[in-house]
Amino acid sequence: MNGLGIGRYVLGWQLVGLAGFLLLPWYAVEDGFWGFGWLFDGYPFDPDYAPAIVLLLQGAKPWLWPIAGFLLLPALALGRPSTERFTQNVLLLVGGLGVAYILGQGFTVGLRGWNAGFLEAWYGPLGDRQFGMGYGALLAGTGLFFLFTLGCAARGAVNGDGFVVGSIGLIVMVVALFIFFPVARILISALQTNEGLFSLAALLDKLLTGKIWGLDCVYSHRACGVAWNSLALAVAVGAGTTLLGLAFALVVTRTGFPAKRLFRGLTVLPIITPPFVIGLALILLFGQSGAITQFLEAAFGIPASRWLYGFSGVWLAQMLAFTPIAFLVLIGVVEGVSPSVEEAAQTLRADAWTTLRTVSLPLMRPGLANAFLLGFIESMADFGNPMVLGGNFNVLSTEIFFAIVGAQYDQGRASVLALVLLFFTLLAFYAQRRWLGRKSYTSVTGKGDAGIAVPLPGRFATLIFGVTIPWAVMTAVLYATILFGGFVNLWGLDHTLTLRHYIDAFGITVGDHGWVWSGGAWNSFFTTIAISAISAPLTAAIGLLTAYLLVRQRFLGKQAFEFGTMLSFAIPGTVIGVSYVLAFNVPPLELTGTGIILVISFVFRNMPVGVRAGIASMSQLDSSLDEASLTLGASSWQTIRRVVLPLMRPAILAALVYSFVRAMTAISAVIFLVSAEYDMATAYILGRVENNDYGLSIAYSSVLIVIMFVAILLLQLLVGERRLGRRSAAKLEIGGQPA
Amino acid sequence: MHRIARVAGLGVLAAGLLGLGTGPATAAGKLTLYCSPQIEWCNLMVESFEKETGIKVAMTRKSSGETFAQIKAEASNPKGDVWWGGTGDPHLQAAEEGLTQAYDSPMRKELQDWALSQAKAAGDKTIGIYAGALGFGYNKDLLAKAGLPEPKCWADLIKPEFKGHVQMANPNSSGTAYTTLATIIQIMGEEKGFDYMKALHKNINQYTKSGSAPIKAAARGETTVGIVFLHDAVTQVVSGFPVVVVAPCEGTGYEIGSMSIIKDARNLDEAKKFYDFALRADIQELAVQAQAYQVMSNKAAKPAKESPNLETIKLIDYDFVKYGSSDERRRLLEKWDTDVKPLPQ
Amino acid sequence: MTVSFGGRASSVRFEGVTKAFGEVVAVNAISFVVEAGSLATLLGPSGCGKTTTLRLVAGLELATAGRILIGDDDVTGLPATRRDVSMVFQSYALFPHMTVIENVAYGFVVSGTPKAEAHAKAELGLELVGLKGYGPRLPSELSGGQQQRVAVARALVLEPQVLLFDEPLSNLDAKLRRRVREEIRDIQQSLGLTVVYVTHDQEEALAVSDKVIVMRNAEIAQEGKPRELYEQPADRFVADFIGDANMVSADILSVDGTHARVSIGGVEVQVPSRGLPVGPVQTAIRPESVLLDTQGGEGLAGTVLKTAYLGKHMEYTVDSPVGELFVVDERVHAPLAPGTGVTIRFGDRIALVVG
Repeated sequence: MNGLGIGRYVLGWQLVGLAGFLLLPWYAVEDGFWGFGWLFDGYPFDPDYAPAIVLLLQGAKPWLWPIAGFLLLPALALGRPSTERFTQNVLLLVGGLGVAYILGQGFTVGLRGWNAGFLEAWYGPLGDRQFGMGYGALLAGTGLFFLFTLGCAARGAVNGDGFVVGSIGLIVMVVALFIFFPVARILISALQTNEGLFSLAALLDKLLTGKIWGLDCVYSHRACGVAWNSLALAVAVGAGTTLLGLAFALVVTRTGFPAKRLFRGLTVLPIITPPFVIGLALILLFGQSGAITQFLEAAFGIPASRWLYGFSGVWLAQMLAFTPIAFLVLIGVVEGVSPSVEEAAQTLRADAWTTLRTVSLPLMRPGLANAFLLGFIESMADFGNPMVLGGNFNVLSTEIFFAIVGAQYDQGRASVLALVLLFFTLLAFYAQRRWLGRKSYTSVTGKGDAGIAVPLPGRFATLIFGVTIPWAVMTAVLYATILFGGFVNLWGLDHTLTLRHYIDAFGITVGDHGWVWSGGAWNSFFTTIAISAISAPLTAAIGLLTAYLLVRQRFLGKQAFEFGTMLSFAIPGTVIGVSYVLAFNVPPLELTGTGIILVISFVFRNMPVGVRAGIASMSQLDSSLDEASLTLGASSWQTIRRVVLPLMRPAILAALVYSFVRAMTAISAVIFLVSAEYDMATAYILGRVENNDYGLSIAYSSVLIVIMFVAILLLQLLVGERRLGRRSAAKLEIGGQPA
Repeated sequence: MHRIARVAGLGVLAAGLLGLGTGPATAAGKLTLYCSPQIEWCNLMVESFEKETGIKVAMTRKSSGETFAQIKAEASNPKGDVWWGGTGDPHLQAAEEGLTQAYDSPMRKELQDWALSQAKAAGDKTIGIYAGALGFGYNKDLLAKAGLPEPKCWADLIKPEFKGHVQMANPNSSGTAYTTLATIIQIMGEEKGFDYMKALHKNINQYTKSGSAPIKAAARGETTVGIVFLHDAVTQVVSGFPVVVVAPCEGTGYEIGSMSIIKDARNLDEAKKFYDFALRADIQELAVQAQAYQVMSNKAAKPAKESPNLETIKLIDYDFVKYGSSDERRRLLEKWDTDVKPLPQ
Repeated sequence: MTVSFGGRASSVRFEGVTKAFGEVVAVNAISFVVEAGSLATLLGPSGCGKTTTLRLVAGLELATAGRILIGDDDVTGLPATRRDVSMVFQSYALFPHMTVIENVAYGFVVSGTPKAEAHAKAELGLELVGLKGYGPRLPSELSGGQQQRVAVARALVLEPQVLLFDEPLSNLDAKLRRRVREEIRDIQQSLGLTVVYVTHDQEEALAVSDKVIVMRNAEIAQEGKPRELYEQPADRFVADFIGDANMVSADILSVDGTHARVSIGGVEVQVPSRGLPVGPVQTAIRPESVLLDTQGGEGLAGTVLKTAYLGKHMEYTVDSPVGELFVVDERVHAPLAPGTGVTIRFGDRIALVVG
């Protein structure tokens, strides 16, 4: 069928690289990635817009010369079979060294000439400088990089599959650039004293303090260290959300409960609620002067107390906020459990309850473990709720936030706390791996599976309804309160109905030149929608591709690869935000102040969810399906597109919905990355909340909630259903159906 | 054949991600403003400035702590030009760390003394634009319900009957609370001051993270008394909440909302124009429109009628140089952390 | 209409192929040839490396060492997608989200054939396996046997150089299994396909194969025609694995060219010598080669211990001086009762084995 030739790929990538070198502006152009004014403004001879070759011929930037060599050398490999050592070595060396050289020169020569003092001392001052890399550098680097991966594939890496090697390389590269590099930058500061000197003692001094590790609360009424607080909270939230999420998933998939559509909608509401709003609504209901507190005091004489401020309040708010995530993870898994396995158990004399306990639940283990892990990590990283409801209960995330933005700027302390947080998260990750072990959880196989899911046993169903219905009612009341808050003059005080908050935020007036977007929220609103819409598919694509590589491919360093892709999720947004500013504010990657940095931060913050959803869903797909496709002559890419993706629709939807929603509701990293041009809704809302302007904040939040609902519905239509041909094919409903 | 297209697709994806967008334009007639007060005030300033000068302003609103962190992170390649507003301490800290640059504005002669002393403390790298006195506010409904006497002085707050009724921010996270700590020390001396903080600690129901949170809690009936800046308390009163604003009888400290030009600003000329503009009396009077109740630094600027009158408030001679320095701050906070915070309540 | 699906059948050649997963060696330096147009079976207990061998042919695994040739082409380094090989999976691996016709046409569609043409070819494939008209259904709407045939059709229509089967019958009931295996053999022979077939069922292997390759512990234990394996198993393992065998100690009395005279507990038989010297030896005696006689005469004296009636034959366990013997006897009309004394003689289905 196919020959052994990889020549056309080599040629293709070489041309891409050469195009970057010969045709496109080497450095970033001032008016942004999508601005094309440079084409008519002195290109190609204006040094700001010149391609590398023109710069070199003008006698500038002589350090770019070797790149021309790297781009030309692959020609040596053209026309030779890929099995030849020579070809392989040329590709590996040229690609690898070329990429390394481009990055190296970028970091060595900066805005002010040499970046490192010792280079200046050795070579004398450099009479030249360079800005952030642009199209040209990007293309040249990309071309060389894929030549390198082609070399690896020719060497026989991952069965010689060029697509898979390229994908692994791509993900390793972007993870290194956008996760490891910025995180390394900020974690280095954990080793620095306040004066900027490196010292291990400084790290230990900051790490081993009672403020972090104190256990006073065990034997006295003093507070414990923040590390224990965070850990206890995260475990409680992880366990709670998993159980509650499972209960909701069971109700929706395994019962004939008439209001399950409503359930689905309700469980999804909190996930699409901007930060702070749940906390504020809880205060209005359960605070000292809250409506329910006052009612209880008046009706039953239960005195008002401050229980909402502290562990219990934060736990409640986080349960409300993160149960939907567990629900979304679990519902796909619950549906994925093959009914015939359950029927098999029943024919083996197991009653409904035993079947559930011994067959269905164990088969859901990957889902349960993932749900717990996500709840745990979310709780660890959340700072909105502890900020509003924490009281004197301090957690790592808020401590980190205030170590950076508080009265005393202490980046070193923030880094140390981030390390602790990271440690806990990785521990949870490790524990999850241990728990899942090597068992197989495959249950969607290549055989058509016809069967009907076993209904829930009676008493268990009662218990589940007993938990889910009150919870749903509470959520409903909470959201009614919130919605109401957007339509009254002053939430909690003056309940005259008004539309003024909506008009303030989203007013449109007719001016001299037609419509005028006069509302204050429009700018951030459009930006938010655009950024979220761009980042969601990217997140899903990268996340699912990563999941595919992790589940379906064997390659060296897979564990490290998985760890790397999970890392960004474990690091709180605040740290990510600051580290991005530190890492991407200067050439060679100058991204601050652009929309791109927001997109990138969302993609890499949310990618782990796509990965987890993909892994959970893919481990239920029999690998012989992929293999069948491969032996039928499909390439890995065709296999992904035609077999894997259609069977993973729930996971795709989950990844899309989640990343879209997260991009719209994220706050902690965003605070540092928004700029005048690219302001985000949550940053705007936070500003209003700080200013006591709850009405407008809530009006804005309500609009966002509606937008997200519509978006989720659209996504559902777009992605479509998974055809498995089961007899009781569950219909997709509002709220996403994810894995 | 398909495959090459797919792999190329991957490349385009990579290209999109690597993006390498660029910073905002540096062409003449632009200004990047970091703004720390409330958004209305920021917008108002931007609009007026753009209208008057034609200079296009790109404004980002962030709290002063966030702005400080951002300027510090951006130090090697500054993106901002002017940092307008926000409590004075981070401005002083930025000056101390060389993140901002000195500017001698022709408007100085029109300013109040406290605004100039702020400039002096920072080697002219910052200047005062408004002042806000510290104090507290209480919810009169809750006070009546609990049958408590009206608190008038700092000393009233440590009375045993106020146990569980007082809220303040944590000085580690909030500049407001640090100002409180420094104020008490300056009024009573360090030893007595810490004794006071220990006594106050017994009555505190919660140390909040954010500086203005205690008065918002008081407004909504979540606490009786909140220690805050008076203008924040006034905001609650104007909003209609049953809050009473108190300037303590022993005297009190204050913050100076400041303005600085960022070092190596890309648009230095425009930055200076804005700087002078922001110190004009007519511009400072815009504060009222934005419901900002601070006292402005231009002597000719008329204060809002709701503003606490600094003439009638007993202000201490707050030592911004000493208490604004990083070392003193760190020392006091550590002492508070070890001596006060862990005590039983 | 006649369809030629097998025009491109090619031989498969393994030369010292090894596959290791880290420390574990799944296939150890094996060499064999499958002639073009023949059906070879890889037979062995689970874990012997037969499925790995099959996956090596498919390219789903790449060899750690050695060479693999399909026809005259060295495919050692080629991944599955670039080999002209199709495979029928144990689980069938039908794509559950595609209809039957889409499944069968898949190979054409991914290689760029226009949809109409692909479906037309797929329809021919379905016709070949007797599923004409089932195209629009989903796999889950078919019975197990039908699903299996869809899987065969899907692999067949691509006219691969080699067609692979990974335990294709293991999910079918016994009757269906026989029918489908005959169908597979028919198709293979009429189209002249090269087929490599993995099974752990020795009867299945004997029934369909031109050549059987018995594997054990990652190595080839013996290869040959079915009859050779059954009648002249190379060793105890093969003898035991293919059919039933009584392993009995004996002595070679003399060797005459290719034949040897062997004494089994005193009863002499003549069997192929297989180059063994005079002296003690192990023999594998097929159950149907143990002849029982109640009339006395020459032979070993034994006693029937257990009997079982299996319709077309009887099964006995007989105690004898050379140990307990398992015996199959076709004389169902005159069964022997337990306790009956018998004289034991031996037929010609006796092999000398090593190890």
